[in-house]
Amino acid sequence: MTKYVLKRLLHGLISSIIVVGIVMVMIYTMLDRNLIFAQDPVFKNLGNNEKTAYMYRTWEEYGYIDLFSYQDYLLMLQENGEIDEETRKSVSTIGRKPESDKPETAAYIQKYQDYCDANGYTVVRLNAVMVSPKKYANGGKEQLFASKDLPIAHRLITYVTGFFSVDNIHYVDKDIDIGERKLTFTLHDPVYGGNKFAPAIIGNGTYHKYLLYVDDKFPFIHQNVLTINLGKSYAVNAGVDVSETMVKKQGSYVLRSITFPTGLTEESADDLHTAVFVANSRETNKVNADRFTDDYTGVNTVKSGKSKMGYSFTIGIIAVFLSYLIGIPMGIAMAKNKDKLIDKIGTVYIVFIIAVPSLAYIFLFKAIGGKLGLPTTFDMESSSKLIYVLPIISLSLQSIGALMRWLRRYMIDQMNSDYVKFARSGGLTEGEIFRKHILKNASIPIVHGIPGGILGALVGAIVTERVYTVPGAGNLLTVAISMYDNGVIVGVTLFYALLSVISLVMGDVLISIVDPRINYSGKAR
Amino acid sequence: MENKDSLFTVEGMSDEELFSLVDHNSLDSEKITAPRYSYWRSVFRVFFKKRINIFILGALAIVIMFAYIYPAINNYDRFGNLLDPAAKHLGPMAAMKKFGYNIHWILGSGASGQSTFDAIWFGSRISISLALIVAGINMTLGVLLGAIWGFSKKIDIFMMEVYNIVGNVPSILLISVLVLILSPTFWTLVFAMTVTGWLFIAYFIRTQVIIIRDREYNLASRCLGTPITRIATKNILPFMTSVIVTLLAAEIPSYISYEVFLAYIGMAMSDMSLGRIIFEAESAMVTPGWEFEFWSPVVIASIITVTLYVTGQNLGDASDPRTHM
Repeated sequence: MTKYVLKRLLHGLISSIIVVGIVMVMIYTMLDRNLIFAQDPVFKNLGNNEKTAYMYRTWEEYGYIDLFSYQDYLLMLQENGEIDEETRKSVSTIGRKPESDKPETAAYIQKYQDYCDANGYTVVRLNAVMVSPKKYANGGKEQLFASKDLPIAHRLITYVTGFFSVDNIHYVDKDIDIGERKLTFTLHDPVYGGNKFAPAIIGNGTYHKYLLYVDDKFPFIHQNVLTINLGKSYAVNAGVDVSETMVKKQGSYVLRSITFPTGLTEESADDLHTAVFVANSRETNKVNADRFTDDYTGVNTVKSGKSKMGYSFTIGIIAVFLSYLIGIPMGIAMAKNKDKLIDKIGTVYIVFIIAVPSLAYIFLFKAIGGKLGLPTTFDMESSSKLIYVLPIISLSLQSIGALMRWLRRYMIDQMNSDYVKFARSGGLTEGEIFRKHILKNASIPIVHGIPGGILGALVGAIVTERVYTVPGAGNLLTVAISMYDNGVIVGVTLFYALLSVISLVMGDVLISIVDPRINYSGKAR
Repeated sequence: MENKDSLFTVEGMSDEELFSLVDHNSLDSEKITAPRYSYWRSVFRVFFKKRINIFILGALAIVIMFAYIYPAINNYDRFGNLLDPAAKHLGPMAAMKKFGYNIHWILGSGASGQSTFDAIWFGSRISISLALIVAGINMTLGVLLGAIWGFSKKIDIFMMEVYNIVGNVPSILLISVLVLILSPTFWTLVFAMTVTGWLFIAYFIRTQVIIIRDREYNLASRCLGTPITRIATKNILPFMTSVIVTLLAAEIPSYISYEVFLAYIGMAMSDMSLGRIIFEAESAMVTPGWEFEFWSPVVIASIITVTLYVTGQNLGDASDPRTHM
């Protein structure tokens, strides 16, 4: 059984990686790569050559190309010992036009050109753009760099290998003096003043300061050692990983009195446990210097709302429970009273849910709910739980319909089978046959769908969240598509694929628990 | 007595004929006779036996007529009243008062002063055509390839892998990428919805074929040496007809709904389809007095999908030979 599950999971993992590969081919090679700048404010403000250079830098950052500038080339020569620093400095400044290069610079540029040609790079040289003989136009400085397209296989391998990252004491660049690099275990977390019993592991030289700590929020023990990188966002949540985007809290800041490492006490929303290393942050920022004793200054803030996934899951999981709570008794009642009034009413409902576009009935229920005085737009600051009512209802409508339809179908199929006739001839009461035989057999396919329903709640719902403006995870994919945020698209796709693999395997395991006849150990009986 | 006599007379037959001796014929005794049975005649007999089906078929005829004949005989200019501010966002009564009492204005006017009624039916034609074409392509490919998939165990292993992978590529992503690469036209959307859409139908058919393939009567048929094509066309296809019709009945409305959904999340084609009309009228929903603009396309889209669905379902029920008794 365990072997079977592991095999299935591994198989699913490979399939998911192939899915990611397909999606990467789709969005990175088939789509125009200029599209990613559509929502970038920095890009809009740049002009002329700066704009082009910025485009290439961004493409490098997001894995499209490998950039190799003229300066990189000179540094490489210096490291190889071919030139000394003085020569490097003297030839590093290029002319405004190729014709105005100094002779020795021109020689090195020629060598650079040859080197790039030999290694498959394409050299880009942008001449200076001038508004007057002395004055550069906005962003008009001359540029010289070379680029090479990275193959999709390279991207896929980097993505898969970088999926998990383990924090270690060699994270901080070796040239930065940070004192002794070590991990410290303490029973008295300094964030709580150093008197309260709270175990923590504190690192020096690591990316996160607190690698392990406890607090009063679920799941109480938190770790920062292992991080999952689903892909860096570009437009949706610039520079932040997709998994972080999904689980990061939203809403307004929660201010409370905080004692910073320097002893300074302030009203702040900072969460000191999330501190990460930011090089030179105390020198460049006075506020940081006042608050922190080391360069672990990058902190997250505590916010009052839930995360994207949190909202989606809260709504989704209640909707799942609600639909099983209503759908199952309804399906049973319909099967029991086949062709009677309740069956006909149920059938009308099922037809309504299947045939009518989901958008139409979601809006219908929104209008009805609005008339009844329920809030129709989601507000994170609202303390009222009523805002959840309408999204939950519109989310569960469809699954109630589906549950009723399939449970009725399976039960009626079972009712005609021979073992039911046999049980009846053996003298069992109708109630007994229904409860002990028909329902048990008919519920197996229904049970198979439970893990999928629960995990599906994490993903959220596109239309429901849009209609009620819920800040959930359901819209992440469509938002990412509309903003051409390729990192988020890939990350979300992988997340969906993994969830679907896991829920299928869990469904199979669950039915084998419910039904002892199902056996995966491979021995044919 | 006359009554007793009439008991023994059969109309048009003389006593000689009635009482003539019939020899035993060994050839005739081999013949198996059954009442004449025509499959499709039985389908329609069962279909029309339910009175509600006549009503639904009537509704479907009206829908089709409005979607295909009405746009053909009427001219509709979306921006005809664009410059007249008094023509915009009118309710039915106000619009009819302004433009005269005719069918064009019974649903009022929209954001650019166009007739909502005309817009809906011109949009419906696009949406229904899209659904029919996509369903036609997907069903043809899906049924044919699904049948092969179900029959061959070698193909099954390969196709299951393809299905597991392609099934996990989000369809909205695929559609939006294709729409971006090509252009947001009708045929792009047809291509985007069929390029992987057939796979899900093929999977469904495959499962059905596998269920029927290994039934005893097919095993017996194979033992008797029936060729595989004959098993497929004579033994399995009749079983599948009702399944296919039922599936088709669910598919066509689902493509209309899907088009509405795509339009709502902003990935529609450039034509003013039903979904696009709903998408553009969404802002009217929250504006007091303009709700009509939003609800009329929604209600008509629902009527179209429900009539298509119910007709198909009942036809599917009727095409199941087990209901022909």
